[in-house]
Amino acid sequence: MTTSPLIVLENVEKRFEDRRARRETIALDGLSLGVGEGEFVCLLGPSGCGKSTVLDLLAGFEHPTRGRVTIDGKPVGRPSPDRGIVFQEATLFPWLSVIDNITFASRLAGRPASEYRPRAQELIEMMGLRGFEHYAVYELSGGMRQRAAIARAWISQPLLLLMDEPFGALDAQTRLAMQELLLAAREQRRSTVLFVTHDIEEALFLSDRIAVMSGRPGRIVEEIIVPYPRPRAYQEIVAMPSFGELKRSILATLREQAARPQHATTGSLPHGDDLRSYPRSH
Amino acid sequence: MNASRRFLIGLAAVAGVTLAWEIAGRTHLVEPLLLPPPSEIVTTAIDLARDGYRGTALWQHLALSLARALGAFAAATLVGVPLGLAMGAAPGFGAVLDPFVQFLRPLPKLALIPLVILWFGIGETSKVLLIFISAALSIIVGTAAAVSTVQRQRIRAGRALGAHGLALFRYVILPHILPELFVTLRLSFGIGWTTLIAAEMIASDAGIGWMVVNAGSYLRTDVVMLGIVILGGTGYALDLALVGLQRWAAPWSGRA
Repeated sequence: MTTSPLIVLENVEKRFEDRRARRETIALDGLSLGVGEGEFVCLLGPSGCGKSTVLDLLAGFEHPTRGRVTIDGKPVGRPSPDRGIVFQEATLFPWLSVIDNITFASRLAGRPASEYRPRAQELIEMMGLRGFEHYAVYELSGGMRQRAAIARAWISQPLLLLMDEPFGALDAQTRLAMQELLLAAREQRRSTVLFVTHDIEEALFLSDRIAVMSGRPGRIVEEIIVPYPRPRAYQEIVAMPSFGELKRSILATLREQAARPQHATTGSLPHGDDLRSYPRSH
Repeated sequence: MNASRRFLIGLAAVAGVTLAWEIAGRTHLVEPLLLPPPSEIVTTAIDLARDGYRGTALWQHLALSLARALGAFAAATLVGVPLGLAMGAAPGFGAVLDPFVQFLRPLPKLALIPLVILWFGIGETSKVLLIFISAALSIIVGTAAAVSTVQRQRIRAGRALGAHGLALFRYVILPHILPELFVTLRLSFGIGWTTLIAAEMIASDAGIGWMVVNAGSYLRTDVVMLGIVILGGTGYALDLALVGLQRWAAPWSGRA
């Protein structure tokens, strides 16, 4: 990162007001993070720490109550296909076929078919969806739906890809296959990716850099450069001694954060589920 | 249980009840004047189909009732769906209309008959209007409720793909609620069809609903029963048609 990063979050604070419960939640406080162009960064943290809020700010669904969020030097505007988003639940439109889902943004923007057709075809190949173009969404498996969702986000050639625990709902085997597919696809595309997860191994396998978040209110407490060269093979990486060491050290940080007294909410309601998501028996 | 099995069981149940009914009538277990057996209803149907009832052919009674109900229902859909969508999408607008809608909806529509006659006379307008009111109100409520069930995540997905304002509405929210809209239409059609009898009580001289009421006052229970069978059967058939339309227009219903 010699030039100025593509994404800059500077001293960001995000408060949510809950009028009915008469309390205010501070989701993020003093969060700063930069992501360089072409970088793959994982945002890792205990549940409820505001990981997804960071993505919401970058997508334009939410706006910071304080601080600065810029992409390519410009403040984030309303949501747009130049920031591709993939959610945990497949948010494909069930009334459209696979191909129509993938080309949704292009057709909405009135782009010519000659432009998006070949691109869609390429993505369909890449995501292993060939032959399923005209399938209805409900005919696809969970993994295929997520692949279609990634293709749908990717077709607009976004500046960055925001992924919110995209493989969290998949079974272990499908999950690994999806992670490998994502890495292989990114070898060809060099997209900038900000990937939210609570899975340490996933973060180590996928990213160039891991930003570990604190418990609520969320901020970055540690940044770890992942030293593994690409292309990566899962079985080789997990076998490295440094993999276990990194995992242990990150886990220690997360536990420390989870055990820290929570003072995020000006009101009641404990956020005590953090400890449960990182059991000591790891 | 698969569909054809369900259908066969249903058919067997109907056949069984019809048979028991017929036997009860023939053996005078039940007074045929109070409950004419199916065979008598069939005979009456043949007679009426040939000679008509009170100067009007049976098919004309049915056609008139269908025209009133379907016309009113079409108008109710055209008015109710956009109003419900607007109420669901714009909470302020919804808050304005909601008290009126909620007040009128559970009101027995029979209570409106005197007013409707005073305002619109005893012609077709009053009859169609009554069916229209009952169907439209339930369409409005159902549609507004459907809009409020659209998941935030799906709206966000739409916005992230560049759909804003009207495009978001047209390409994300509307298709999203389509399956629920059909459920609302089916329920509302049932309510509208129910109102038909009330509507045809307004100084009518034709229509299946009128035929039932008229025959009742002359103790023609066979005609009453025939009218009921026609009303029920037609309502059932129209509901099946709506289900078919839903399968065609929203094949993903209940599967995503």
